[in-house]
Amino acid sequence: MRLLAVFEGPQRITAALSILAALSIGCGAVLNPALESARDSYQKARQDPMIVRHAAVALDRAGQALQEADRLWTKENNVIEVKHLAYIVERRVEIARVTAQRRLAADEIQQFRSPRP
Amino acid sequence: MNGICDVGRKIMPRMNALLVTSVIISILTFYGCSTTKPPTDTLAKAELGVRAAREAGANELAPVDMKRATDKLERAKQAMAADRYDEARRLVESAQVEVELAEAKAEAEIVRRAADDLQRRVDALQTEAERDSRKPITTRSEKE
Repeated sequence: MRLLAVFEGPQRITAALSILAALSIGCGAVLNPALESARDSYQKARQDPMIVRHAAVALDRAGQALQEADRLWTKENNVIEVKHLAYIVERRVEIARVTAQRRLAADEIQQFRSPRP
Repeated sequence: MNGICDVGRKIMPRMNALLVTSVIISILTFYGCSTTKPPTDTLAKAELGVRAAREAGANELAPVDMKRATDKLERAKQAMAADRYDEARRLVESAQVEVELAEAKAEAEIVRRAADDLQRRVDALQTEAERDSRKPITTRSEKE
């Protein structure tokens, strides 16, 4: 975990997941397509500044589901449960995106209310 | 061949112990996990979520996601009635995110519309102000 100390906040989850991914590839584990697709969606959202800024909590929930899916895949190889969790990750990423859009619109309204300098 | 048997005889007691332990562990995990429990609490929570989403206008603003959520809850109840608790739990969990997404979409749409409406009003006020400022001074005196 000391290795992860270099990273801060949400970056730590990403780093942890990347290491986990690297380990699973390194050990010659078979990749789960649904899990990889979910990881891809999550990483894309992680790179979207609008989502990171306005929906960090919602995005973290997606990250947690992804971690759980990763754990179930590497430790238990539970195909059904991993596919299910991968779907949850995709939906949670979508929730984060929509939440960010709502906050952005709310910010626009706030700008009208506060007097302009 | 004898060598292999010797090794086998030495390993066998250990193998037995291993077998017993693994059986105990698998029984414990089987009963310890949610496998045997019906997801009654999460189902009730998801149904509350559906009601909240409906109140937020999700039926009109996110009909596809709401349909997905209610369909999954229906299937979850069927799975529960058939004692397929794992399947029921997965369905309830995915209905839960479905309904959260529906509610988030409905809320986002309402705020977006309000922001656009406000923008339109501000634009209208600005054009009106510009028109007024461009009016020749004579118009006022003519009116008087």
